[in-house]
Amino acid sequence: MSVPVYGYVALSGLLFLIGAIGVLVRRNVLVILMCVELMLNAANLALLAFGSAHQSLDGQVTVLMVMAVAAAEVAVGLALIVTLFRHQGATDVDEVSLLKG
Amino acid sequence: MDWPVLSIMLFTPLVGSVIVLALPKEKPALLKWVALAISFIPLILAALVWFSYDRGTGGMQFVERAAWISAINVHYYLGVDGISVPMVCLTALLTTLSLFYSFIIDQRPKEYFAFFLLLETAMLGVFMSLDFFLFYVFWELSLVPMYFLIGIWGGPRREYAAIKFFLYTLVGSVAMLLAVIAMYLETGSWDILEMARLQPFSTNLTLAAVAFWAVFLGFAIKVPVFPFHTWLPDAHVEAPTAGSVILAGILLKLGAYGMIRILLPIFPAMFRQFAPVVGILAAISIVYGALVAMSQWDLKKLIAYSSVNHMGYVMLGVTAAAAAAGSGPAAADSQAIALNGAVLQMWNHGIITGALFFLVGVIYERAHTRDLKAFGGLGAKVPTFAGILTVTTFASLGLPGLAGFVSEFLVFRGAFALIRPFAIVSSLGIVISAAYLLWKVIQHVLLGPLNERWARLTDMNRREVITLAPLIFFMVIFGLYPAPILDLINQAVVTIVGSL
Amino acid sequence: MLPTLSVLNLNGAVPQIAVAGAGMLIMLIDALFHRGSRRWAAYLALLGLAVALARVVESGASAETILDGALARDGLGMAFALVLIVAAALSVLVAMDYLRREEHERAEYYALILFATAGGLAMAMANDLVAVFIGLETLSISLYVLSAFFTGDAASREAALKYLLLGAFASAFFLYGIALLYGASGTTRLVEMGTAIRLAGTQADPLLWGGVALIIVGVGFKLALVPFHSWAPDVYQGAPTSVTAFMSVASKVAAFAALVRLLVVVLAPAAPLTSALLALLAVLTMTVGNILALAQDEVKRLLAYSSIAQAGYILVAAVAGEVGAAAVLFYLLGYAFTNLGAFAVVLAWSRRGEGRLPFSDLAGLGFRRPWTAAALSLFLLSLTGMPLTVGFVGKLYLFGAAVQAGWTWLAIVAVLNSVVSAFYYLRLVVIMYMREAEMPLALQRAGLALGVALAVCAAGVILLGLVPGVALDWARQAVAVVLS
Repeated sequence: MSVPVYGYVALSGLLFLIGAIGVLVRRNVLVILMCVELMLNAANLALLAFGSAHQSLDGQVTVLMVMAVAAAEVAVGLALIVTLFRHQGATDVDEVSLLKG
Repeated sequence: MDWPVLSIMLFTPLVGSVIVLALPKEKPALLKWVALAISFIPLILAALVWFSYDRGTGGMQFVERAAWISAINVHYYLGVDGISVPMVCLTALLTTLSLFYSFIIDQRPKEYFAFFLLLETAMLGVFMSLDFFLFYVFWELSLVPMYFLIGIWGGPRREYAAIKFFLYTLVGSVAMLLAVIAMYLETGSWDILEMARLQPFSTNLTLAAVAFWAVFLGFAIKVPVFPFHTWLPDAHVEAPTAGSVILAGILLKLGAYGMIRILLPIFPAMFRQFAPVVGILAAISIVYGALVAMSQWDLKKLIAYSSVNHMGYVMLGVTAAAAAAGSGPAAADSQAIALNGAVLQMWNHGIITGALFFLVGVIYERAHTRDLKAFGGLGAKVPTFAGILTVTTFASLGLPGLAGFVSEFLVFRGAFALIRPFAIVSSLGIVISAAYLLWKVIQHVLLGPLNERWARLTDMNRREVITLAPLIFFMVIFGLYPAPILDLINQAVVTIVGSL
Repeated sequence: MLPTLSVLNLNGAVPQIAVAGAGMLIMLIDALFHRGSRRWAAYLALLGLAVALARVVESGASAETILDGALARDGLGMAFALVLIVAAALSVLVAMDYLRREEHERAEYYALILFATAGGLAMAMANDLVAVFIGLETLSISLYVLSAFFTGDAASREAALKYLLLGAFASAFFLYGIALLYGASGTTRLVEMGTAIRLAGTQADPLLWGGVALIIVGVGFKLALVPFHSWAPDVYQGAPTSVTAFMSVASKVAAFAALVRLLVVVLAPAAPLTSALLALLAVLTMTVGNILALAQDEVKRLLAYSSIAQAGYILVAAVAGEVGAAAVLFYLLGYAFTNLGAFAVVLAWSRRGEGRLPFSDLAGLGFRRPWTAAALSLFLLSLTGMPLTVGFVGKLYLFGAAVQAGWTWLAIVAVLNSVVSAFYYLRLVVIMYMREAEMPLALQRAGLALGVALAVCAAGVILLGLVPGVALDWARQAVAVVLS
């Protein structure tokens, strides 16, 4: 039994939505970062699904690149969180509020 | 003349402003004299233009034209006709006199004189430009030095007055700018004369009406026409004496000049259609300006409001000419008379109100007050001041034999023929202005018992007399014999009326 | 079949290679022989940028592609690349004395500026949505690190974190938009995508519309368009001032380059809807940016809000599509000089160890620092749009494009906004010249590099305002050559 393309797309949409809501409602910086990763991977899933639907490799190539980029982003993000934790001992966005917002 | 006289006149003050900035600030006397000497160059050239303008051929003369920004068809395009020549001369004259009067400025004289010369370039540029883009550049440029002159050398509420002055004018000019962009996109040209020939939006009346009002707003705020006048009293009261002189003497004329040079020839049909509205605004400016002036006890504010009143006559003259636009040669005489009056009134108001503001400065520097209730009986104490003030005041209220009479007479002669109801209402303004000038200025300052506070008041010094002498000369000479200036103006006015 | 080197056409990628290569070289040299002053890194960065600039100017525009079609060397791409390189070079000059003063002179700073520039160059020339994404991420990640560059400063760390979280969030939207557009058209190449969309028609393809909407949201975050702007004031305020200066210009140039190309090449068939959406964003951005700017009492934050509003003005011309592309390009060129100049003055005047410049510190500086104050006044007048500055010609061109494309009401809103903005720009001038300082600020001497940067910015503002003809022609010709 094969799952149709729109099934994958629907799943990726759901994952994206979960990630987006997570970013908006969660207050822990690490969790927010993970939610962003979820959103990126949702996009990756969609790319793969569309790639197979269009019978083209572009989707898969894109996913590889996105993974590299996402890794870089996470590395910088974690580094920032570590510095922040060292200086302030906090990983909650609400405790980081020197600036007015 | 085969040398670029207008360009030289235009850029000498700009170069002078840089020279003044480069002089050492430890030598204030030197830089004052240098600034004054530089301002004589445009003055002499302006006189030269006045006398060598060929009244026989008329039209635009001393024309200079070169491509500036060819990507959007902008030209560096200068020229003067019978309307701009008097304005150019007025600008050069009042600037020189203001600089001479300003020798008393001790606070940062270098920047003061540099800004003043920069201002002269901007004002001359507006009167000379025949390209709308260039016109707009100078128009906006005139804001910046005046903003600093009010804001740095002004009275106690100078910050507020400076910003208000700037923002009011800016609102008007950006409205105008949008209309001009649309006009450029329609006609493909920034040439003011060309635009008048092409008559933009003649097929789309809604757009034409919007453009008309946008441009009108830009000029009306500067004139200022009621209800856009509220920046004027603040700016005048806070500005330094010479700043007030230039503000009343020339900057207000920029708006009126725009009405005659741009709005009327480019939108004659719209102007005729909306003449009743503009006429009402002009009449309100005249009567309301006079009434508010009458209720003032601050001498400077009184004269500021009298400017609203007197510039109203200019608007009345322009409206009269517009109201009969397109009605053929039958009305042409009255139109020309009204417009002649309007242009002459611009010149006269510049001379007379310029003198009045100088006189306010003279008395304020001695008495440190402008409160009319505090004065009285100065006539015998300071006779020279009293004499000059009396002549100027009489010129301002339109006494026959002095300059103000001629122009107001012409305006009303034209207006009575073409827009009688407005003219009748406006004539109230003449009565009221006679009342407040006689009652408030002459009686409260010069007549009555002498207040003991002023027992040690000194009369005008030589610098002040020299500043005012040329102005008195023009008040008298053009009051008795206005033909030289009217010949000049009439030539250009007839051309405009003929094209409506 | 694998693409051969000639298909890659690496020769055309010299600008990117020079910039990124110089960055790596700086990292390498610093790691191997790091001792003493890091001024050499700045000079090396300038050299790399100069090579890139020379290459961009000399090779000129053509309709060919490089890296197997990923990047386009057309006029649009090269022109935006040029603006970006100039902005980066000025940012390096601005930063040199500042970093030393703040005791944060490290070589990575310049390397990161170069990496960010390389990312921006990729965005400007991208002919493939994936290339846009990679460029965007290279630019953004470098900027996250740069924002956190003053690690000892809590505001800097916080700004970086905020920027990173919201930036990554926006990137996810952008990427999902790419995925949906890929689904709708079967390709990520912009030109082919444009053809596919034109052929398929635009009616009711949820993938297409969803993709467009998500991409606009993603770009909206990067450009700090209202309602996606909430990060900008905090990040602009918290980041080191030299980074704010660079960020406020470079990320706008790069993002607008990508947006203009998307609108012209891909979304032209969908113009009515995208234009309406962008017009709405433009109105919100200008108005909210200006109104919030009115309430500020600190120059850096004020400039942050003013940058938001300026993006709104530029969007007005972007709405006009092809007609407005040249105006967007020209305005950004002028904006680079104006905004970098304004931030350079903030950085010269702010107290040591403190990025803020409260209004009260400005009092009396008009006469104590006549040249710098005159320069700041010039930049502020240009941001207002006074004639004889580039701001005037730029706005004339922006709003003219809108009127020409039939968006007159939008131009009117923009003009009204300019008037509002005049109020807060002029207020700074008022304070500089018309108030006396209660407690005069102890000012450092501005260094030579900063002086050069200020002079270049001021000269750019005046020259482009006085004789804009050459630059206008350049902009117009550049956008006429678009790969499509």
